[in-house]
Amino acid sequence: MGEHDSPELLRGTLDLLILKALVSGPRHGYAIAHHLKTVSEDVLQVGESSLYPALQRLLLRGWVKAHWGTSDNNRRARYYTLTAAGRKQLELERSEFDRIVIAIHKVLATP
Amino acid sequence: MRSLFRRLWYLLRERRAQADLSEEMAFHREMKARELEEAGADSVEARREARRTLGNTTLAHDQVRDVWVPHALQGISQDFRLGLRTLASTPSVSAAAIFSLALGIGANTAIFSLIDSLLLRDLPVRDPGRLVMLSDGSDQHWDHWSYPVWREIHSRHQLFDGTLAWAGARFDLSSGGESKYINGIWVSGSYFDVLGVRPLLGRTISESDDAAGGGSNAPVAVISYAFWQHHFGGDPDVIGRGLTLNRVALTIVGVAPRGFFGTDVGHAFDVAVPASGPANGPTVSIMARLRTDQTIDAATAMLRAIQPEIREATLPAGWPPAFLAQYLKAPFTVFTLEPAAQGVSGLRERFVRPLLAILIIVALVLLVACANVANLSLARAMARRRELGMRLALGASTWRLMRQLIAESIVVASGGAAAGLAAAPWIADRLTKQLSTTIPVRAPNAMTGTVFLDTSIDGRVLLFAVALTFLTLVIFGTVPAWRASRVAPMDALVEHRQPRWGRSVWRTTDVLIAVQVAVSMALIASASLLVRTLTALETRPLGFDRQGLLVATVETQHASVSPERRAALYNQALDAVRRLPDVADAALSFLPAVVEGSILAQPIQSVSGAPSLPARRGANAALNFISPGWFQTMKIPLIAGRDVGPQDRVDSPQVAVVNEAFARKFLRAANPVGHTVRFFQPGPPPAPVEIVGLVRDSVYGGLRSQIEATIYLPVAQRSGGWLPFLSLDLSIRSRSQQVGALEKKVAQTIESVNPDVSVTVHPVSDYVSDSLVQERLVAMLAGGFAVLALALAAIGLYGVTAYAVARRRTEIGIRIALGASPANVVRTIVSRLATLICIGITAGVVTSLWSSRYLGSLLYGVRPGDPANLAGAITVLVLTATIAAWTPVRAALRTDPVSTVRCN
Repeated sequence: MGEHDSPELLRGTLDLLILKALVSGPRHGYAIAHHLKTVSEDVLQVGESSLYPALQRLLLRGWVKAHWGTSDNNRRARYYTLTAAGRKQLELERSEFDRIVIAIHKVLATP
Repeated sequence: MRSLFRRLWYLLRERRAQADLSEEMAFHREMKARELEEAGADSVEARREARRTLGNTTLAHDQVRDVWVPHALQGISQDFRLGLRTLASTPSVSAAAIFSLALGIGANTAIFSLIDSLLLRDLPVRDPGRLVMLSDGSDQHWDHWSYPVWREIHSRHQLFDGTLAWAGARFDLSSGGESKYINGIWVSGSYFDVLGVRPLLGRTISESDDAAGGGSNAPVAVISYAFWQHHFGGDPDVIGRGLTLNRVALTIVGVAPRGFFGTDVGHAFDVAVPASGPANGPTVSIMARLRTDQTIDAATAMLRAIQPEIREATLPAGWPPAFLAQYLKAPFTVFTLEPAAQGVSGLRERFVRPLLAILIIVALVLLVACANVANLSLARAMARRRELGMRLALGASTWRLMRQLIAESIVVASGGAAAGLAAAPWIADRLTKQLSTTIPVRAPNAMTGTVFLDTSIDGRVLLFAVALTFLTLVIFGTVPAWRASRVAPMDALVEHRQPRWGRSVWRTTDVLIAVQVAVSMALIASASLLVRTLTALETRPLGFDRQGLLVATVETQHASVSPERRAALYNQALDAVRRLPDVADAALSFLPAVVEGSILAQPIQSVSGAPSLPARRGANAALNFISPGWFQTMKIPLIAGRDVGPQDRVDSPQVAVVNEAFARKFLRAANPVGHTVRFFQPGPPPAPVEIVGLVRDSVYGGLRSQIEATIYLPVAQRSGGWLPFLSLDLSIRSRSQQVGALEKKVAQTIESVNPDVSVTVHPVSDYVSDSLVQERLVAMLAGGFAVLALALAAIGLYGVTAYAVARRRTEIGIRIALGASPANVVRTIVSRLATLICIGITAGVVTSLWSSRYLGSLLYGVRPGDPANLAGAITVLVLTATIAAWTPVRAALRTDPVSTVRCN
């Protein structure tokens, strides 16, 4: 992992964030990383060594599809698209995530 | 499941996927660098920074691979590559292993594919599961109906989702004289449509073609793909061309699709012709397609309900009233529907037992081959003990070592399976050719004797082959792998350590050798029983002289000969043949002397002066019709009384000649001459028939069958309600033993009498050899495979002995140095082997005694547990073992004590 990498994420959270990043439309790997970084105001900086295995995991499960396209600056880039199964998974993981975050808050809130 | 496919897809294009990943990460880095540059960094600095932030790309590659390929499976391709290399380093041993497995798997698959296509395969038609067959409900499943019966059923459209009828036939392709028969089927107009068979070219036969005289398009024919190819050379303009069958000109209107062979499994049709062509239509088999809402029982019930009205409507014309009364109430022919998805076949019953016997034999051969390959792998593993120990010492896991050896076994097994599977259709085709007979079966609607079975590899056969391969893999692959995994790291270091596992490997090898000996012993014993069966049948006294005897079959069915003139025509043909200079004798008969499987049974009510017979059924005698001089022609001796003669005519009292078996069965072996016989016949009691002669016994049906109690009636006295014979056989005694030249002359002579009759001429030896088709096939295969198993076992024994000698070289050297006698040395090596062989032979004797109970029904003239037979098999095995062990033992005796001791 890179030096400026984001703090360790909860297991599976990266998958959730990637799925979420793809809701607005197909993105290539760099755009996903960039998106996560900007939206999180530089808190979440995802390195290649975690982003790409995560993307492959999503491919294997059939939650995203990949195809080669042309980027804004006319370069060949691989774009990832959310599949129907991926959308469903996002909903599922999202509520699960909320549940866990609330639970963690409750634990931390105890005196 | 889906993700499994995605994984496989990934594995297939892994290199490409990794390249994609590199490319997209390079793109990522570049974008990152550009971003930093835009933020103000200089370009070199930006690149370095980008690479630093993004982390370890090699790690990313590995992690991506981990996502797709489960960790436990990584390195598999490495295992296989290494396995291939190891196998290639001992090419002859590996080739022997692959070859013996290929032979075993190929033979098993071939036999199974024959069984599959004869018994299990569905007809290549639309929705075969809903086809049913109309039978008479008897145990024989008799399924031949008159064409009017079919018309009645067919006209009741509401009964089924379509009905069809067909009859096998031999069509004569020649325009006269010696016949050239091809396989034909008479079909109803609905045949192709109801089966759902679409034509490849032109059209199929339609309802309008199926009318007397040939419908509006005149007589038409649909030809099969194979006939189109070999007779018309695949001519695309074949539609509209003419074809003359049975002297009738037909027009070809269509070509059937490639895979469609008809509805008779075992025969492939060449030409299909509408059934209404012949005067009354042929006797047909009837199939129906059940509606989707119909069960077979409901359909049967419905048919039975209308059976009386169908009988009423289909009274045969020209039958005596007594016969008609019987037809109306016949209790034996109750409409019964049977599933017919696999079509019908007259061959099933005949060949299933022999094929199953052969399947067991080839399975045993495969077992021997597996044992051999297991021994080879074990020996290989032993030889690599140091290498394996070294790898273990360096930290390889046991699982990894086992995987390595299993990968080798998989390579051997798949190589064997691939070769075997490639050879299987070829082997199956050869075997199918062996099933064919020169002379067609004498049965209603029989086609020619050529047997066709679709031996292409279908899913079931493939599954069988794969399962078989897996099984062989388990048998020969796991034991060596497991054994080798118990190597100790110490083995790598100590050259002459005799490791613990070494001894237990020995034990495994011992078991394998004993199994090989036992199985080959059992195979040799069974094969010799089967070969002796064949010899016994081939040399069986037939009761007549088979040398220089020809049979010419004269058929008048399709000739423009009126029924009244047929008798005269047969006699003219007989006279013409008798005048040939090379012909010593000739006579007519209805059946030739040897006919596989057909017995014309005559129910007998009573014989005068004999014990009375069961009142309702009487007893059966075999029946044949003969002309004067037939016994003389056949050289069947007349014992008492006289032959039938020219004085026995339609208007003179009925006479008969019987054989000794008849006298034994009905008259307690008393002289039958002068006694009278009453036949069972519907209607008024027939006049008694006087027995005027007694002849010696002779074979009546196939060579296997017992001598039948036989009654011979004069051809000339056949009358009453009977139609004249459609065909008769001329038995011809040649003056010389060489009958080949006479065959043609006889055919030409009969053709010159009337160019319209169909003639086929065969020496009686053809009938004899056709009668033994299955025995010959079984004996040939059993013998061949037994020799093969023996050879494999010999190779195994040789290997084990050679290995034992090599392993104990030092010990032998020391013994010789200390003055051991050659006999002593031999004993040292051979004692263990001898024990193994004895155990194997004992097990083999037990196995063959046990298995011969199942062989019993295939045997003739030999007893299953014949001690001489077993003794012979034991001798063969001991001899083989001695030969196999000879070379290594001799090498042991020549061991130079000095050099072996110095070696250490």
